[in-house]
Amino acid sequence: MAVAWRLLDTGLRRAADNIALNRTLLESRAAGESPNTLRFLRFTPCALLGYHQSAAQELDLEYCRDHGIEVQRRITGGGAIYFDPGQLGWELYFGRRDLGVADMESVSRRLCELAAGALRRLGLDARFRPRNDIEVGGRKISGTGGVSEGEALLFQGTLLLDCDVEKMLRVLRISAQKLSDKAVASARERIVTVRELIGQLPPLSEVQQALAEAFAQGLDIALAPDELSATEQARFVAALEEIAQPGWIDLVAKPPADRSLRHATQKFPGGLISVSVDFDAVVGRIKQVWFSGDFFVTPRRAVLDLEAALRNVALEHLEDTVAQFFAAREVDCLQLDPASFARIVRQALAPAALAAS
Amino acid sequence: MATVRGCNLPDDLYYNVENNVWARKEADGTITVGMTSYACSLAGEIVSYTPKKVGKEIEQNKSVCTVESGKWVGPVKAPVTGEVLATNPDVAAKPGAINADPYGSGWLVKMKPSSWDGDSGALVTGGGVASAFEAKMNADGFGGC
Repeated sequence: MAVAWRLLDTGLRRAADNIALNRTLLESRAAGESPNTLRFLRFTPCALLGYHQSAAQELDLEYCRDHGIEVQRRITGGGAIYFDPGQLGWELYFGRRDLGVADMESVSRRLCELAAGALRRLGLDARFRPRNDIEVGGRKISGTGGVSEGEALLFQGTLLLDCDVEKMLRVLRISAQKLSDKAVASARERIVTVRELIGQLPPLSEVQQALAEAFAQGLDIALAPDELSATEQARFVAALEEIAQPGWIDLVAKPPADRSLRHATQKFPGGLISVSVDFDAVVGRIKQVWFSGDFFVTPRRAVLDLEAALRNVALEHLEDTVAQFFAAREVDCLQLDPASFARIVRQALAPAALAAS
Repeated sequence: MATVRGCNLPDDLYYNVENNVWARKEADGTITVGMTSYACSLAGEIVSYTPKKVGKEIEQNKSVCTVESGKWVGPVKAPVTGEVLATNPDVAAKPGAINADPYGSGWLVKMKPSSWDGDSGALVTGGGVASAFEAKMNADGFGGC
């Protein structure tokens, strides 16, 4: 028989409320006071940092201040995002042993595949892309992240119903740095919205129903709408005291200089490749790369998938990751040696390039 | 040395099995704390490490450090109550060291226990380690390291 879960819709709220509710519901589930829950949430305009990120490194704080964009820190991992009422948040709170898979990668995969299935119910050709994205035609439509507390897990995702790309680029400092006349077009190539794909915004209730049905069927659960309990309300008040104050937002503070965007362009036999690399020099890790240039790769989405595969990769694993990526799929690069993609990243990170950047 | 489902679990350490953490009692009365190889296998490659500040008092089973892997954030719980004496600069520079050497260079914090004798009773060591982790892995549905 299907296990009972709660369906909770907390509507449109400011970021501090939503993050305090994350803590409330996770801790309450860990304490055995709350049932497993599927929650839908939306945000007034805000910039959300990943738990381990620094606001000064990730965000244009002046722009946020001038435009009334609230800055908050998530309790989950991953990167900074811009959120406004054009996106829908979905979250699952459950016990570590409830899905029947133990490791975190498998938990992510299982839940992302179900969320992708929900989007297919809406007529979108959505797929899970390791490690944490849901994409349509190689373009990201949903990002996810999670957090554990004792025996309880919270896994959350965003769904781009609509997106103000220009504003997103202004809010996120690393994207803003690379702002050129091509930046908006470049971002649009890499993300996609439900609105763009089906030509209009579907009613929110329809999207929520698709997600709820996909999770209910995939997890064999029965969802029953309910509200916050009295004990959760009390925990929420306490959580807000910690989260709606600068100490929480400044919990991790790192100098912007430790993160920089490095660029390189080179002509290889078979094409010209340009790359921008967001590199964390302190831990020697590639945060993100963006490839462009004049080269022939089929299918074209392979370039976007390669960018996804290189996210958060330690520099010493660069060449292996690129080689494994091309070994695992059919990609036609004509005369271009696939290893060129690793070489151009190395070149962007070479000492001479560092000195110049 | 115990090996359970391919996971190395040295039996001279003290474990909180549920929290998947170990403590080593040092000759000077301090302890070193870290994640088990099993915890590392569940987490995947760790990319961020944020320990509590040196000097802070942490209660037993409260978070002494936070790690992130594959966009999952998780607290590491103190095996006993005590003060944080040191955090690991090598792990801060290269969080993947936790996965590479969880019982050696990948240690997370050093602590001065308030009451080792009182608190360590809740920890498992020696001959009980293998069976305790076997039971946990079984309940978790874990295939192996």
